[in-house]
Amino acid sequence: MAELTIVRPSAFKQFRVLLGKELRQEFRTREMLTSMGIYALLVLVIFGAALSQAAQGFDILQVSGGLIWALIVFTSLLGLNRSFSSEKEEAALEGILLMPMDRSLIFLSKATSNLIFLLLVELISLPLFYFFFLTISSPAPSFWMASLPLLVGSIGIAGVGTLLATITSNARGKDVLLALLFIPIIYPLLHAVVAATTVVVVGGDNLVGTFATSLALAGGYDVVMLALSWFLYEFVISN
Amino acid sequence: MRERTIFDSLAWMALLLGALLSTAGFVLAFTTAPMVKGVDLQVFAQIGGVHVDYQLLFSQKIFYFHMPVAITSFIALLFTAIYSIIFLVKKDPKYDLRARIATEIALVFVLMTMASGMLWERYEWGVWWTWEPRLTTYFILTLMVIAYFILRRALDDPERRATYAAVFGVIAAVNAPISFLITRIIPTRTHPVIFRTDSGLPPDMLLPLLLSMFGILMVAFGIYRFRLREQRLRLQLEDLKAQLED
Repeated sequence: MAELTIVRPSAFKQFRVLLGKELRQEFRTREMLTSMGIYALLVLVIFGAALSQAAQGFDILQVSGGLIWALIVFTSLLGLNRSFSSEKEEAALEGILLMPMDRSLIFLSKATSNLIFLLLVELISLPLFYFFFLTISSPAPSFWMASLPLLVGSIGIAGVGTLLATITSNARGKDVLLALLFIPIIYPLLHAVVAATTVVVVGGDNLVGTFATSLALAGGYDVVMLALSWFLYEFVISN
Repeated sequence: MRERTIFDSLAWMALLLGALLSTAGFVLAFTTAPMVKGVDLQVFAQIGGVHVDYQLLFSQKIFYFHMPVAITSFIALLFTAIYSIIFLVKKDPKYDLRARIATEIALVFVLMTMASGMLWERYEWGVWWTWEPRLTTYFILTLMVIAYFILRRALDDPERRATYAAVFGVIAAVNAPISFLITRIIPTRTHPVIFRTDSGLPPDMLLPLLLSMFGILMVAFGIYRFRLREQRLRLQLEDLKAQLED
């Protein structure tokens, strides 16, 4: 008689399965990526109109860090709002919750997939931003360092955003509510990454100091807030 | 039936004493507390036979109201966080009620702080608003307190509402100090901010400040207890109504 053994899959394997499900679902329909990408393009059009009356010599570099982050925040809001709509349809989330596993893995897989989608959209929209607004000006040679605050900022947005999106997915008027909860909570991170991004795009003498300080602060925010979200997710998802 | 606790009987006393103390504090602030020396004047002046070469800041008197109110709002929010954590651990709805009422008190005092702060700022700095670290942090705090109530309103299931509100309360409480730290440490290009660290107040100023401080804290405590009792009675009434229908 053959022995029947049941091996409990490791946490990492569970995480991989969940993440794979998120990615497969998205890449089959490309629903979220398409809408986020188009939305980002439209925000760029709005920037074009908003800056159309600025004077000839207007230094766009000074505000470019802020504009990039405005673009990312608005686009990420759209994505975060959608990230739980598919789970609500057909009660898919209940199915996942039936599996005997650590609830924080759901958080981790959702946050990771949201981060991947956000980074993909940034990969498309930021070159477009450069093409539309920065070709006539000359960014400092250190501008490639902006990828570091972009990564740190996106991690924080995806982490805290996933927790808040789970909360609002059960509420009435969830789209506005998510923005209302998300923007004040993300503000300190935004402040830090805008400073880090601007300083490397503009350049200047105090570059390294400001860059290091604001990046360290943004990283600290990420660590604290991700740990907190991870810890609190248990309460949110099981209710 | 819930008994009246000692705190409920203290509420009246706290409210009355608090009103008296803070009034005394404000009166002393305008009578015995000296004016604060402001910027040096370009032109000397003789006022009442005294040689004056600096401006005396009458607007500083708002400090005796502004600071106690701001401290009270922070303490109320601290209680929101504490009761939220206790709720998440114990899952007892009575802590959710306490957290909610503490946030209501916080909202009242947050709005008073914003209003008094902006009046002073308009007078002293000449603007209604500037993105200075303290103001920014406090504005974010205000938004989070408002968002807390909108979140509660958007959720129907009581247990879920209590849990989500508690989770948001904890995140907001952690976010506020981080926000202050980050906006303060990162240098801005336009507004260098100077923080005064010499807080050694002369006794003439310390006394009215402490009086209004304790007075306003007691008023806040009194309002909190009254609101808690009112909400409890309301819950009991709803219970009784439900029993009557059965």
